[in-house]
Amino acid sequence: MPQFQMRSTVERLDKPSSYAMSKYKKRRRPSGDDANRAPSPDLEEKLRDASTLYVGNLSFYTTEEQIHALFSKAGELKRLVMGLDRFSKTPCGFCFVEYYTHEDALDCLKYIGGTKLDERIIRCDLDEGFSEGRQYGRGKSGGQVRDEYREEFDPGRGGFGKKFREDEQAYGNEYGPGQ
Amino acid sequence: MALHRTIISASILSVTADDERDMADVDTRREYGGGGGFRQNGGGGRAYGGNKRKRGREDDDVEQGRPDRRPRHSEAPPGTRLRRALLEIGDDPLRLPQEAAQNAAKLATENYEDEYVRDTFCTVALKLAVEQPFKIPMIAGVIQYANADNSEVAKDIISKAASQLQEYLDGGHWRELKLVLRLIACLSPLYEEDGVLPVLDELFNRAVDLQTASQEDAVGLELVKVILLTIPYLLAANGDAALQQAASELLARTDIIASAQNPLEPLVDPYPDANSPDEKPMACASVISLLQRQLQDEESNGWPLKCIPRVYDPSFKQANTNGDAPEETKSDEEAKPTPKHAFPTITVPSTVNPGPKALFPEIYFSLYADQEIESVPPTSSISACLLRDAILDTINILDFNRNATARFLNDIDCYWAPDTFVKRSTAFDKLRDMPSGKSTWKPEDVAIDAIFSQIFQLPTPEHRLVYYHSLITESCKISPGAIAPSLGRAIRFLFRGVDSMDMELAFRFMDWFGHHLSNFEFRWKWAEWIPELDLSALSPKKAFIIGTLEKEIQLSFAKRVRDTLPADYHPLIPPSKENEIPEFKYNDDTTPYAKEGREMLQMLRKKAAEDEIQTVLNTVQQQALAHGTPDPLVPSTDIYMTSILSIGSKSLSHVLSTIDRCKERLLAVGAQSELARRQIITSVVNFWSDHLGTAVNIIDKLLNYTIVTPMSVIQWTLQDRMDRGRALASLLAYELVSITMFKVTNRVRQVLRERNNMALPYEQRQQIDEALPRERQGMRDLFAAIEDAVAGVAAGAQDEMVERYEDGDQEAEMVKMWGQKWLRVWRRKAAVEEAVVGELVIGPLEEPVVLPEAVAEVEAEDDMDQVA
Repeated sequence: MPQFQMRSTVERLDKPSSYAMSKYKKRRRPSGDDANRAPSPDLEEKLRDASTLYVGNLSFYTTEEQIHALFSKAGELKRLVMGLDRFSKTPCGFCFVEYYTHEDALDCLKYIGGTKLDERIIRCDLDEGFSEGRQYGRGKSGGQVRDEYREEFDPGRGGFGKKFREDEQAYGNEYGPGQ
Repeated sequence: MALHRTIISASILSVTADDERDMADVDTRREYGGGGGFRQNGGGGRAYGGNKRKRGREDDDVEQGRPDRRPRHSEAPPGTRLRRALLEIGDDPLRLPQEAAQNAAKLATENYEDEYVRDTFCTVALKLAVEQPFKIPMIAGVIQYANADNSEVAKDIISKAASQLQEYLDGGHWRELKLVLRLIACLSPLYEEDGVLPVLDELFNRAVDLQTASQEDAVGLELVKVILLTIPYLLAANGDAALQQAASELLARTDIIASAQNPLEPLVDPYPDANSPDEKPMACASVISLLQRQLQDEESNGWPLKCIPRVYDPSFKQANTNGDAPEETKSDEEAKPTPKHAFPTITVPSTVNPGPKALFPEIYFSLYADQEIESVPPTSSISACLLRDAILDTINILDFNRNATARFLNDIDCYWAPDTFVKRSTAFDKLRDMPSGKSTWKPEDVAIDAIFSQIFQLPTPEHRLVYYHSLITESCKISPGAIAPSLGRAIRFLFRGVDSMDMELAFRFMDWFGHHLSNFEFRWKWAEWIPELDLSALSPKKAFIIGTLEKEIQLSFAKRVRDTLPADYHPLIPPSKENEIPEFKYNDDTTPYAKEGREMLQMLRKKAAEDEIQTVLNTVQQQALAHGTPDPLVPSTDIYMTSILSIGSKSLSHVLSTIDRCKERLLAVGAQSELARRQIITSVVNFWSDHLGTAVNIIDKLLNYTIVTPMSVIQWTLQDRMDRGRALASLLAYELVSITMFKVTNRVRQVLRERNNMALPYEQRQQIDEALPRERQGMRDLFAAIEDAVAGVAAGAQDEMVERYEDGDQEAEMVKMWGQKWLRVWRRKAAVEEAVVGELVIGPLEEPVVLPEAVAEVEAEDDMDQVA
């Protein structure tokens, strides 16, 4: 029997972003053509109790204390791991924030994601949990990939993209070097 | 049924690295076919500005270049169209609600043989009632229109609504009960005999029982509130004279409860520090007392109930929008009598379930009401409470999408009777020029007022405060030009009244203001408060300014904040605040034990052996003994802790890892000497004296490690650092006591939750039950310690206080006032905790019962998707 079910009448902000979902699907099905399939149960399972968030679009100059001041508004923080440039070991614009409870992490997604910290709109995404090594940028020159290719000048994130500065002709693959 | 399956998913361009999500921001997020009804202003709060929600009709809704799976222009299946028509009802300001309701009704009746359509109709209509209360009158309109063509539609939904209502009633879910009851009341003309008032009568009898049993009862108040908020919707839907008569009789009975002051009311008064009621910035009446008076007023005017939209109009004819031949007249059909339905059975249990939440009396908080210019409904008007109630429900139900909520608030004028509000974005100054008889209520003020009422709700609002902060931020983003001036008036109003404001609320105000400004480039007309800078640091206004700047700096940095301020403010942000890394005091040879301090720093840095460290500590202790220091552990703890702080000064994680490494010794020293334990706090606060937020954070972590105890923090703050009561005006004192008490009360609540967690083995729950009194006693001791410390200040009895003040009497009076503020706040918090975890309210440990196997619930899939 068809049964119509509805969880809510407006979209919820406390879900993993479609980015997290697509990244996950990609890893599992490299040829993945069915972008509209329901998210794989494994990831949902992993995120069901997730209390960690990935936080992006930070300024390189944003400090742990500033992050703490904002994010503790959604609950006590258990751990804060700054994202670092792989080579220079300086902050490169992202971090992981871990709460004590899943509910606090969801509150953070709902109330803090998309607001400003240090005058930049930050983004938050539910994360399966920090593991050693993930604190480093994965771009060629040590930072995040997005900062390699960025064509806009962003004073909070090291000016122009590094790759872009090196070679302004480097077009065609602005979304990264692929899998 | 695969066709019914609609796809709501954003396409994502591929991005590479694991921790790189930011790229996703650049992709084009859009809804794919038929996902209407979502208020999606950028997934996850992104893509502001762009991606405006389509408000037009379906046939306008063709986005360019959308990779549609269906052939373009083909119609979605009827279930999908019905769902969308229901969800979007009332959203379009250019479309009459009558027309939208008629269309939705037509979709339902014409396809009602389709089971999916039937399901959709009931599910969406009832879900809307409990999630988007603005739309209840419109949904009721749809049902009434549908009923004329197919009485099955109304029959089904009445029966489903009644069974939901029963569940909410049995579970003590008062808000949901109120909303479904409202829907049922709005359908009043459809019943053979109206049964809403008898239900209200029964609810009232329970309220009387509860009030008789306890003076402090708040559940009975909630029931009366539900009754009083149902009556207007009932009478707006059904003008029957007998019904009005019966409602009047009920109203005469509710008066005795609604108009009496509940003994808990003073506890939740936002302005308790005014000397007389006339001095309060606002009247602070209870919501139900206002409702009672407003309804009596409506009654004497023949129940105009002007703001409630009347959506069902049997004579309403749609203008022909399709350009087709004019519709044939339906005069024959109109003559048909409305099919009537039996009122469903609803049983009010003889003893009501108090519900999952502890309830308190509610005060009507308004920044704008009853002032010279009527920018919101006056508190004498029923519109004040009807609007406020529906807005608050919308806000508190939809906390999971603040963007959608902000949009609803922005569009509030779509959902109420025409001409309830003045045109959006009308400047405040222009309200004076409105012709008399026209509404001067600004939709922006009405919405902002409601959000602030939550930030200033005592004892606590439903959600975290930061939710209401971000809701204001989103509202500003949607309509900056209209909202910012309203906010400006709100801030000035609050600032003017800060002296008599409850202290906890003054700190909430500060926290919101600092956070808000950090989202808007710290722009504020600080110049207008320059005169207040001359006030004593003990004046609440000055304390507010100092605290706000501190909050701003915590979210940003000193130089940035100073640059946004007029020069008069600069002395409040000394250059030392720009030093991100504090000086190590032992670098200065004039500091006692400078040599040992430096030595300690080196040893900790190179992770020297514990016995080497002990040798240095021993040297300090011996010297201290020789100098006659009462507790030699104090200076040795200072050099140890200060060295830890210096090593960890680079960031919070540095200091935490250093503390973690040294925790054994810190724990041991605290156990050995209470003075040494308090020295740990002193060292932290002294080291971080220019960044007290960091000091508070570190002490918070030290509490987690149990290196410092809750009692040591309270006594350090309210004895050691009391400064004859002056400390009570400082943000530091309030924050230290707050974080400590939050931790303690939270723990007791957690213990109680575990004790009542039926999923745990009974034996384990018994053990927890045995531990509970001890935990509770610990909490009570701390509240008592706070009370002891501040009661003396409040009474002006602090030892030799008066002589010691430079400013004499005036300063003594101010200190006394802070004592009273503290006393009130912490007495309230103690009372609230007793109401949540006290032995009087929790009852005996429930023994396990053997439950029949629970029926497996079908879990709702991704929001709107049909489960095939």
